[in-house]
Amino acid sequence: MASHAKNAQKFARLLFKLSVVDGAVSADRVAGAIEYVEKHNLANPVMVLKAYHRLVETELAKSLAVVEHAGAIQEATLAAIASAMTRKYGRTVTATSKPNPGLLAGLRVQVGDDIYESSVRGQLATLASSV
Amino acid sequence: MLSHLITLAETAAPAAQAEAPSGITKIVQDFGLSWPFFLAQVLNFLIVAFILWKFAFKPVLATLDERQQKIASGLKYAEEMKSKLEAVQEESVASSKRSQAEASKVIDEARKAAKEFLDKQTQEASVKAGEILAKAQQVIELEKKKMLGEARTEIARLVVETTQRVLSKELSEADRSRYNESAAKELTSL
Repeated sequence: MASHAKNAQKFARLLFKLSVVDGAVSADRVAGAIEYVEKHNLANPVMVLKAYHRLVETELAKSLAVVEHAGAIQEATLAAIASAMTRKYGRTVTATSKPNPGLLAGLRVQVGDDIYESSVRGQLATLASSV
Repeated sequence: MLSHLITLAETAAPAAQAEAPSGITKIVQDFGLSWPFFLAQVLNFLIVAFILWKFAFKPVLATLDERQQKIASGLKYAEEMKSKLEAVQEESVASSKRSQAEASKVIDEARKAAKEFLDKQTQEASVKAGEILAKAQQVIELEKKKMLGEARTEIARLVVETTQRVLSKELSEADRSRYNESAAKELTSL
């Protein structure tokens, strides 16, 4: 059982490597990988697809900046943030907005596992932890 | 026998009177001394003396000697006993002194040991009391710090919560937009 899971992980990583073009996940390559799994009779197709999905999702999250905001935010601001993150990570990062009134005011940007925050809630939390 | 002696003396007396009396003879005649009687009396005396010496004085003297020896031996025994008693008394006194000295020594050692034990116990109790006091002070200090920390955290939480409520009501959309622009500048400059 453990060796099957290991083999499925290994094959999923191989499919993922083939799905990345120029540092970004290619939709065509992903479709091709899924088609390959469907057509070929693999030992554990479900495990392979789950592992492949995790890898693709993680990679896509690295290329997506979720900008949480309280109050209105302009498209130009989103574009500026996407541009800054693209420069920072060296790959194309797109930005999407997500309202979060709990921030009170300000922004919270999440790229993959990295979080950048400049909000009133964050400053209050910092203040509370420093007391 | 006695009658013969008397007769002999009577016959001898006229013969003596016939001769001229000398000094001694005259004395003998004046005192009426009769040699046969005299010799008979001497003989009687010697016989009586011998009998008395043999059967009376000698046993009495032997008894007296024996008694004297007994008394002497008794006195000697008494002297020996007295000297032995004195020796025993001296030995008893010496033994008593030795016992008293040993008892005094034991008592002194016991007192010394008791004092050392008491000092040691006192010192240990003092050290333990100090340790307990120090631990209690540490515990109090920790409790105080913990209480202050909890109070500080609670106060901060209340302040933050109150501030959040106030800001959520008081901040206008314009304020939020301005703050967002400022935050965007900050984030893009990272």
